[in-house]
This record gives sequence, C-alpha cells and structure tokens, in this order.
Amino acid sequence: MIEVQSIDKSFAGQRVLRELGFEIPDGRITALLGANGAGKTTCLRIVTGLLRADAGRVLLGGRDVAADPLAARRQLGVVGDREGLYERLTVEEYLTLFARMQGLAGAALRQSLDAVREELELGELWKRRTRGFSQGERMKVSLARALVHRPQHLILDEPTRGLDVLAARLLRRTLLRLRAEGTTILFSSHVMSEVAELSDCVLVMADGRIVGNGSPAELMENTGSDNLEDSFVALAYGSAARSECIEGTPA
Amino acid sequence: MVRIRRLLWGLALCLGSALASPAIAQQAPAGERCYLDGWGDALRCYRVPVSQSVGQSGHFPDGLAVMVAPAVNDGGREPLYLLAGGPGQAASELAPLLNAFRKVNRERAIVMVDRRGAGRSGAFRCGFERDMPADLEQFSRQLADCYLQRADFAESLSSRQTVADLERVRRYLGHGRIALWGGSWGTRTALLYQQWHPQSLSALVLDAVAPIDSKVFLAASAAEEALRELERDCVADPECARLGDWKGDLNRLLQGWSEQQARTFPDPLTGAPAAEPVKRWVLANAVRAALYDPGAAAQLPYAVRQASRGNYLPLSGLTGLFINNADSMAMGLTFSVACAESLNRISAEEVARDSADTFLGTAFFDLFHSGCEAWPVSAKPYGAPEPRDHPVLLISGSADPITPPVYAERRLDYLPNRQHLIVAGGGHINSRRGCIPGLIARFLNTPAEPLDKTCVAGIERPPFMVDAYGPALGGKAGAEPAAEEVASD
Amino acid sequence: MMGLGNFSTRRMAALLRKEMLETWRDRRALWMAVCFSLLFPVMIAGSTTFFVKKHAEETTRLALLGAERAPLLEQRLRSDTLKVDALEQGEPRALLAGDYDVVLQLGEDFAGDYRNFRTPQLYLYVDSSSTATGRAERHLQERLGKLQQLVVGQRLVARGVAPQLLAPWKLEVRDVSTPSGRGAMLLAMVPGLLILTLFVASLATSVDTSAGERERLSLETLLLQPMPAWQVIAAKTLAVASMGWLGSLLAIAAMVALMPAMPLAELGIQQATTTAGVITMGLLLLPLALLVAVVQILLALRSQSFKDAQTQLSILQLAPVTVLMALDMSRVELDHPLWQLVPLVGQQQWLKSLLVGDPVSLPLVLAGSAASLLLVAMAVALGARALRRESLLGAL
Repeated sequence: MIEVQSIDKSFAGQRVLRELGFEIPDGRITALLGANGAGKTTCLRIVTGLLRADAGRVLLGGRDVAADPLAARRQLGVVGDREGLYERLTVEEYLTLFARMQGLAGAALRQSLDAVREELELGELWKRRTRGFSQGERMKVSLARALVHRPQHLILDEPTRGLDVLAARLLRRTLLRLRAEGTTILFSSHVMSEVAELSDCVLVMADGRIVGNGSPAELMENTGSDNLEDSFVALAYGSAARSECIEGTPA
Repeated sequence: MVRIRRLLWGLALCLGSALASPAIAQQAPAGERCYLDGWGDALRCYRVPVSQSVGQSGHFPDGLAVMVAPAVNDGGREPLYLLAGGPGQAASELAPLLNAFRKVNRERAIVMVDRRGAGRSGAFRCGFERDMPADLEQFSRQLADCYLQRADFAESLSSRQTVADLERVRRYLGHGRIALWGGSWGTRTALLYQQWHPQSLSALVLDAVAPIDSKVFLAASAAEEALRELERDCVADPECARLGDWKGDLNRLLQGWSEQQARTFPDPLTGAPAAEPVKRWVLANAVRAALYDPGAAAQLPYAVRQASRGNYLPLSGLTGLFINNADSMAMGLTFSVACAESLNRISAEEVARDSADTFLGTAFFDLFHSGCEAWPVSAKPYGAPEPRDHPVLLISGSADPITPPVYAERRLDYLPNRQHLIVAGGGHINSRRGCIPGLIARFLNTPAEPLDKTCVAGIERPPFMVDAYGPALGGKAGAEPAAEEVASD
Repeated sequence: MMGLGNFSTRRMAALLRKEMLETWRDRRALWMAVCFSLLFPVMIAGSTTFFVKKHAEETTRLALLGAERAPLLEQRLRSDTLKVDALEQGEPRALLAGDYDVVLQLGEDFAGDYRNFRTPQLYLYVDSSSTATGRAERHLQERLGKLQQLVVGQRLVARGVAPQLLAPWKLEVRDVSTPSGRGAMLLAMVPGLLILTLFVASLATSVDTSAGERERLSLETLLLQPMPAWQVIAAKTLAVASMGWLGSLLAIAAMVALMPAMPLAELGIQQATTTAGVITMGLLLLPLALLVAVVQILLALRSQSFKDAQTQLSILQLAPVTVLMALDMSRVELDHPLWQLVPLVGQQQWLKSLLVGDPVSLPLVLAGSAASLLLVAMAVALGARALRRESLLGAL
C-alpha cells in the first residue's frame, strides 16, 4: 500500500505539487499519466524518498518515507531511468552488489540472484559488463536490480520507453506475475495502449494535481471517449471527472 | 571489522618504527660533529681509547683523535685512511686533501687518525711551535731537555705502535678491510701496516714512497738530482735559459756564504734583516725545501741568479713560501721515530757518499743527526719485507728532492701488483695535481685493472719566474728563443 | 546525519566494493594517474642528471685575439673545460655569433706593458643574452684568476715579500648543513609535487564517481538503497582516495627508485631516504588522500555538469601548489608545531624531512593526521547533507 497524503512541493518559488494525495492498493498495477511538467517525476521521487515534500507525507506499507527512509527502502524497488547502470560491472556483479546493499547474504542471496536470472532471462548477459547493452537489456537488468530483494512496492518510471517487442512482453509478463503475487506496482508512462492493457487503475496528473483516476474503462466512460488517449487529453487539458477506482482528491 | 582493525594496528606500528628509526639505527659509534681547517664540511670526530703498555708512562687519557669524513653515499665500499708524513705530521693536517678526494669521498669514508704524539693526539712538540731555531746547538739542547722530561713517552713512540693503533681504530669504527693512502713518511707506516696486518688491507696508494729499507734522511743526492732536473727544464725554456748558469751561482753562493751575508739576509715578512742569522745550512735547506713544490722551484733560478748579484730579496721571498709549514711537525714524535727507525741505520760512509758533490751536503742530515744525539731512543728495526699481493698505486714526482722515483722503482719488488705514476717535474706529494685525484679514485674502485696513465703527462711545471715581473707571459714559452734575444746573448 | 546505528558492515562492504570496482576498472583514469605519478619523478631525475652532466662536461670555447702577443697566457688559460683558440684577427661580435662563447682580446702592447708593470688591458667580449656565456666567463675567470695569483706571487717573491702578506687572514668556511640536508634544495619541490599527484591522480575518478554518476542517473539508484547517505560519500571517498594514494605511492616509489640513478653524490648530496621513511611517507599521505578525495567529490557534486566539474577540479588542483609556493615565497616560518596541524602544510613539512632523512615528531604527525581525518569526517557529513538537496538530482 502506497499512501500519498496531500503533499506540496515547490522549486524556486514555483509550486510543482499541490496537495497531491492518492492511495495505491496492493496487488494492483497503477499507471501515473501526465503531460511533461505535470509533476510525475517529482511525485515519484517524493514517493521513493529521494525528495522531501514541503508538506504532507508518504507512507509505504504504513512506514513514513521521510521519517524512516531506510526501513521504507527495504520494501521498495525502483526502476528509474535505464541509464543508471554501471558500465564497468558485469550483470552478476551489479546484481550481487545491490542485493548485498539490500542486506541479502549467503543462500538467500544466491536464491534471489538465481530467481531474477531465470525470471528476466539474464542467463546470456550474466557475465557481461553492461557497457553497450540495448535498451531492452538495460531494462531487464534494471528491473532485476529493483526486484532482487523481492520488494513489496515497485515503482517504474516510463519502463517501456524504447523497448523492443520481446522486452516489452517480458516486462508485461513480469508485472502481471508480480501483481498476482500481491506486489504494489506504480508506473508512469506515455504510452496509452500499454496503460490501457496493463493497468488496473490510472491516475491522471496535471499541474501538480490528480485530475482523474479510475480504471481505463471508467476513465473512458467518464470522459465519454472511446479510447484512453482521448480521455487523458480531456482530463489533463479539459474538464475533470471523478471515479471511485482510487480514492483521490481531484481538483 | 576485526580484520580491518588489525590491519590499522599493523600500520600504526609500522609508522611508529619508521619515525623512530632515524634515531636508533647506528651500528658504529656516532662520534661528534667537528671541523678541520681546510675542509668546510662537518666531520665525525672520535676519541678511540688506547691501552697503555705495561711499564710505559706518557698518559693517554683522551685516546686517539680520529676524524672521519663520512661517505656522501655509503654504498659499503671500504674506507680510505690517510696516513701523514713527518714522522711528526698529524693526519688532521691532511684535511685540505679532502678537496682533491671529493670523488673518493662520495662512496668511501675518509679516515684521519692522529698518531700518538701528533696533532690532536697529544702533540709532542718539545716547545717547537712555529719557528725553528737557526742555531743547531741550541736546537739540540732544547731537544735534550724535552727528551729528559718525557723519556718514557719518547721511547714508546714507534711505527709498530702506530700500526697497532690504526688496527685498533679500524676495529673500533667497525670497518672491514680498509684502503690506505700514505704520503711521504706515511707510506712507510702504510707499508708496515701491509706487512703486519695484510688481512685488514684492501689496497695501497703511496705518494712519495719511502720504502721500508730506504734511508730517506740521506737526501742530499736526491735533492741534487731534483735540482739538476730543474736546471734541465730551465734550459729547455728559452726565457729561463737566459738566466744562465744559476746552478753554478748557487754552489758559489753557498760555498762563499759569509757571516755578514747571514746577518743581513732579509726577513720576508718584515723586510728587515732576519732576527736569527741565516746560516749556510739554513740557506741550503731553504733551497732544498723550495724543490718540494714545483711552484716554488720555478722561482729558484731567478732568485739564485739575483742572489749571486747581491740581491737577496727574491731568495728571501722564496723562503717566505714555507713559513707556515713548520708548525705541523711534532718534533718529539719526529725524532722518536726517525732516530729509532732510520737514522740509526745510517753509517758515516753512507753520509759521505750521499753528500759528495751536492749543493746540500750534510746540511739536512746534520739537523737530524745532532737531534738524534740528544734523543737517545733505542733502535727499533723491522724485519725484511715479505711479498704482499695487494694492489698498490705508487705516485712519484720526477724532481722530488727526498723520495725520488727510483725508490718506487727499485725497492718495492716484493709488491707484484704495483702501478707507478711519475709526474714529470713533480715535487714531493702529487696527489692533488691534475688528473691524479681521478686516477686514485679509479684505482680504488678497480684496483686490479691497469690505469690509463696518459693524462699524467699533461701535468706541467708551473711557468718559471724569469724577471721581476714574474713569468714571461709575452715570451715564446716552449718555442724557439726570439731571434734578437739570442743575438744579444 | 542519518543514524550511525544503522551502520551495517556488510552493506557498506558491498557499496565499497562497487565503488572500488568502478574506480579500478576505469582504464582512462588509471592511466592518467599512473602517467602523472611517473612523470614528475622522471622529470626531476632527468633534469638533475642533465644539469649535472652539462655542468660537469660541457666545455666552453674562448677565442683569444692577439694571442701571439702572449703565448704563455694562451697556454695557461687552456683547461679541460675551456677550449682556447688563438686567432690572428676577428670581429668579436661575429665570433660570438659563431662558435665562441666568449672572446678575449689582448691590448696592442700587452707584452710590453706587462713587462713594465703597466697593467695592460684585456678586453672580454660577452653576449650576456646567451646561456653559455656565463659558464664560459666563469671558466675563464677561474683560469685567469689562478694565473693572476701566480704572477702576483712571483712578483712579491721577487721583491722579497712573503706572499702571505697579501692574506692578512684566512677565512675558513664551515658548512653546518648535513650532506642529506643539502638535498633539501633539490628535493624541495618533491613534497608539493607528491601532493599535486594526489590531486591529479584522483581527479578523473572523483568526477566520474560524483558528477559522472549523477549524469548517468545511477546516483539516484544508489541513493534509493537502504543505506545512510554518509556511507555513500564515505565509500566514494575511499575509492577515489585509493586511486590518488596509489598515484602518490607510485610517485614516491619512482622517486626513490630513481634517486640512485641521479648524480646526487656529485652534488655532495647524500641520499638519506630510508625504507622506513618511504613507508612512513606513504602512510602520511593517506589522510591527505582521503581529504583531497572528499573535497573533490563535494566540489564535483556541487557543479552543474560533468564538464563543469572537470574544470572546477582542474583549477582546484592548482590550489595546493599555489598555497605551498606562496607560503614558501612569503618565507612564512613553518617551524611552529601548530603549522603541522594544517593539512597540506603539515604533510609537506613531514615529507620534506623524511626525504632528507631528518626525523619527524610522532605526536605531531599523529595530531596533524588526526586533524586531516577530522576534516574528512566533517566533509563526509557535509556531503551526506548535500545528497539530500534536490538540485543535486539535476533537472526536474
């Protein structure tokens, strides 16, 4: 469960988030939609604890991210930008080190590594340094790193950007499996078809606020559109609508 | 974590030992910082305790004075010990030699040991500080008094004791084999050390060698030969040649030297007539002394020529060149060793043969002979030298008036590994001249290899004084005489 | 600072291992460190050797105009270092422009004036803009001085005067320096260069691990691990310092290894650096390496971009040398023990002493090193705070 409770955030006098609040339930895949500059990245960074909110708070599994960041992070996996690999480390080294940083050791460590290798089909890449990896390969490694410690909460920032078909399929499969295991999943995206296909719930952000939420079907219905893209445009740039899928505080 | 801490502890210990080590790492005794005149860098000075032989007086509470110029970079090469002449000269007086031995000193310590009765090891001067009395009788009287006061000490001094002391110093300083440089009488000490402690010795450098069986106090023939060589070189120089038969002038001057001349001979320091009359034997010895140094010898022809014409100033000025040399000889030590080890072996016939037809005559011998009569120490003969195969470098000046090159050539056959450098026109002691210091350094580093001696030929006599203006800078040095001057002669 | 109580050795070890792997696998940074570390010892050794060789072996050439008027003069001027060519005639300027370093011209009636005690003139033509001239002039003065002394001596003797009358006293110079201390002048720049090596060797790594990681967006991932921020800074500091330290150790080793090849003995300098001294030097530099690393990381984190960080740090690496030189030039007495508590200055003083074999005070070294380490700790804390600043994460 990710609880975002009326957070405010300003940069250099400019208000980026305005009393933003929502809850992400366990065992669901939630998409965060928003135009560029809507405050998605800031929102995600506050949720992960990288940034501190000016007001309000974020709870991950009931733990305050700002007050007890280390405990919150143990239950958190983040797939940020896929550039965040270390080119001079092999996949095995990379994953081992991050698993250790998460506190894994011994048999548990080996099991976790074997598991992500299998799940994300990293066998061939395992002993290679990550320099020169394709976008898909990078995503797989990033995802493996985010999952190696089996976190309850998984946050992904535009995970499908630049992925080929196979990689995108693997990602989808993984997310669906994780959902089945009860993981709380939040991802941001631009790709409407993917959002429509993957997500159970959609949050639409505009101007630092949630302007719409609900299942993709609900959103289309509420906005009277026959596709998600139109309903997103309507929500982000036009009139607001309300849904009961997620309890939020619309404008 | 434990491992890291242990590692840190290890580093701390290491740091501690590194910081502490400069203070403790000294296997040899440290010595005191000191200086000697003629050498600007600091030396290490030691006092090496010497035990007194039973039944001998002459206290030695302070021990032997030992001065060491440490090697700039001590690579473990054997040190070089400098042995002074005399026998009354102190090794500490040799400090100026360090300037010439800089190259040697880079890798070797240079050690100077003042032998008992010399320099800083209780100089036995008998009251002769600077000026020697010109009167032989008074000289003998003063010596006799001195002897009576410290007869046991006088008797105790000998080459054997000096060699034993050197060996003691070598062990005290923790040196393994050592190399020796001996100059003049110091070569005698070095050769005896080689006889008695061959296992302690690596190589010998002997400048102006006085072989073990040589009679160096019979110096009249050698001085005469040095003067003849000077004459030959003068004749070969067109400007000097114009001074004519100055050697004949010298003989006439000495033969006819009168009381009047002795009394009016000017003092080179004050310009006034000398306080002590300059007697014939003093004058002859002054000429002999001038032959020690080629620079002084180059002024002899003109000085003698002028004296024969009644102008004694140049000759007086020449004696002024040696004024400071007298103070380094400890007379008590000189006579103890010279009388017991050399003078007693000289017979009257030998003296007559040596002095016949020489400008010096017995003027030099008489000084020692009369001194030894006042200094009745017992004879201390050495055995005949046994063969030794240490590498030996011999250096001679062809015009040395006391240890001529024939000594090195004829009396050292028992040393198969010897090399001989002869400096043409060179006087007594040539170690500082030209390329000789470099050759010494090379010899010490590779004593078994023959040296390339060609550079020795480049050492020249200083230019002759030909007139009151000094050397003939404008003359045709080494060339044929100018035509008009030959015509006018 | 986030709670020290959460410190986990295992997690820290993993982080440190990651930083070390990253650092030591960076070939470019490693090469830069190694090359610079070897560069200056080689340069010092080379220039010293060259200087001594030139000084000792180089002969200078003198053109003697009018030599036929004083053949003996010509002969006495010759030496191993001064080559004399007697020329009938020639134009001094042209000769100086040609092969000759100095030109000596004898006056018209040199020989006559000399004989008549009239002090004839010698004209020395020099080109003071040429480097060889000074040496040639020295060589000539040396020979001429000796000859003059000889002539004066003979003239005095000819008048019955002992030449010592011209020397009313004799000045004996006693040098209190030690043969190893004489190396201090030559080796004075070495501590500064060792410290500079620290800066240069760790430069690329520190930029890469901070500004570089931020630009590659991997810093964010790192900060999302359940570890306090100070550990991130500390691990990076250790990794960067390891590179800088290696550089300076390499430089020390090269310096000491090259010393026997340097003609120090010819300069009368004793090589006094001991093995223990070398080890001590290495250990002394460790706290400084940490300090340099953490300061570089902080600066790089503050900068706008990778490029900006490189520029800033390049300027920073001039700072120590400038400071140390300024202190040296202003002749500030650095003997006071308090100076040894100042980072850079303290290390410089200790290195200087150890290089010439002088002892250093253990309590002061420990105190000074502790002062440096305290600064490191403060800088790490500062860095941990900086990691929480939003501007650090770059464009939003």
